[in-house]
Amino acid sequence: MTGVVVTAALIVGALFTVLAAPHLLARQTWLRSTPGETLFLWQAVALSGVVAALLAAPVAVLSLPTDRPWLRLAAYAVSLAMLVRLLVSGHLVGTDLRRRRAEHRQLVDILGERIERTDARAEGVTVLARGNPTVYCLPGRHDRIVLSREALERLGPEELDAVMAHEQAHLSQRHDLLLELFTVLHEAVPRRVRADAALDEVHLLAEMLADRAAARRVGPLALAHALVAMAGGHRGDAGGEAGGTAYPGPPAGTLAGGTQVTTRLRAFAADPAPGWARAGIFTVAVAQLLLPVLLLLPLLWTTSQFL
Amino acid sequence: MRQRNTSLGDLERVVMDTLWSHGPELSVRDVMDHMGGEKDLAYTTIMTVLDRLAKKGLADRTRDGRAWRYTAASSREELAATALRSTLENVQADRKLAMVHFLDDASPAEIDDLRAALAEVERRHG
Repeated sequence: MTGVVVTAALIVGALFTVLAAPHLLARQTWLRSTPGETLFLWQAVALSGVVAALLAAPVAVLSLPTDRPWLRLAAYAVSLAMLVRLLVSGHLVGTDLRRRRAEHRQLVDILGERIERTDARAEGVTVLARGNPTVYCLPGRHDRIVLSREALERLGPEELDAVMAHEQAHLSQRHDLLLELFTVLHEAVPRRVRADAALDEVHLLAEMLADRAAARRVGPLALAHALVAMAGGHRGDAGGEAGGTAYPGPPAGTLAGGTQVTTRLRAFAADPAPGWARAGIFTVAVAQLLLPVLLLLPLLWTTSQFL
Repeated sequence: MRQRNTSLGDLERVVMDTLWSHGPELSVRDVMDHMGGEKDLAYTTIMTVLDRLAKKGLADRTRDGRAWRYTAASSREELAATALRSTLENVQADRKLAMVHFLDDASPAEIDDLRAALAEVERRHG
């Protein structure tokens, strides 16, 4: 009897965390007031979902009365297939990402002009001569922070400090690994049930986390000014120079767009989240991580009774 | 190891600059001459750097007797365009991971929203 309940709970839990939770969580915009805790919650939901999904079939055959060995084999095969799918997704995402980054870093190193900044722990800070106002980091073993010349010109000293602190936070808190994990899980589930909104939300949360780190270092005002300076009103500035090659801008709405920056700014105008809310989210996340383990306990108990 | 890689990377940059400004068809000796006495570099070091650039596809080389002659595979402008394209591709292919910020072209309405949000932040923290 316990076996049936546990199996049912694992299956329902797995289906819920894989299919429903990403959509539900992405809609809870109030969680953005505590980006750190909320990202931990996202990880907890994702990992417990994976564990529940992998355990469901083996637990079902082990706990249900059956004397057909092929059923047992089939259950293991289901779990193994899921595991393989996950590993393949991890491999594909990881290698593609590292190849892109290595290729891009090579170009940046050849073209860019290296500048020294004492506040950057990244291996290099590079200025690229042309392009839109852009600041980004290339994470990895030889990490880089890349600025376009136009970004450098547009930012005042305090704003530049803010932007550097933001990128440095991405690098030292290894947000790339966090986002890689979510991308791997995202690509591991069938395309039709993928929650794109969930991936966008964790991306936004990572930006907000880096914003907070930057605001702690340089103050919220400097960061806010930097965000506005970078995002606002540079239409038509690029292009037209040096041989008249006009570079195409990114398609509207695909990027950390004006609306996303507005959201990030508003987070600094809002009241900070109360301590109990942060503790609450943290507790829920830990409970979520423990859930698959807790579900298995009664099963282990009953099995040991029979031995 | 880290240190060595970095300095080789810096050298690659200087050598590419030389290929761009004094090319095409430079021998290792030519590159050394054009780089001037600014660095006391061994012939073999420059040879290694050029070899690496050729392997990476950044330089083309042709046989000239027993030596190689090197030419930049594409102009600086072409390479800059490639770099920009690869930034955009990263953003579009997996924008969640590209970590590119501020690359957007905001519409006037979005800029108004942005300024309103900034005013809120200023009221709070100003």
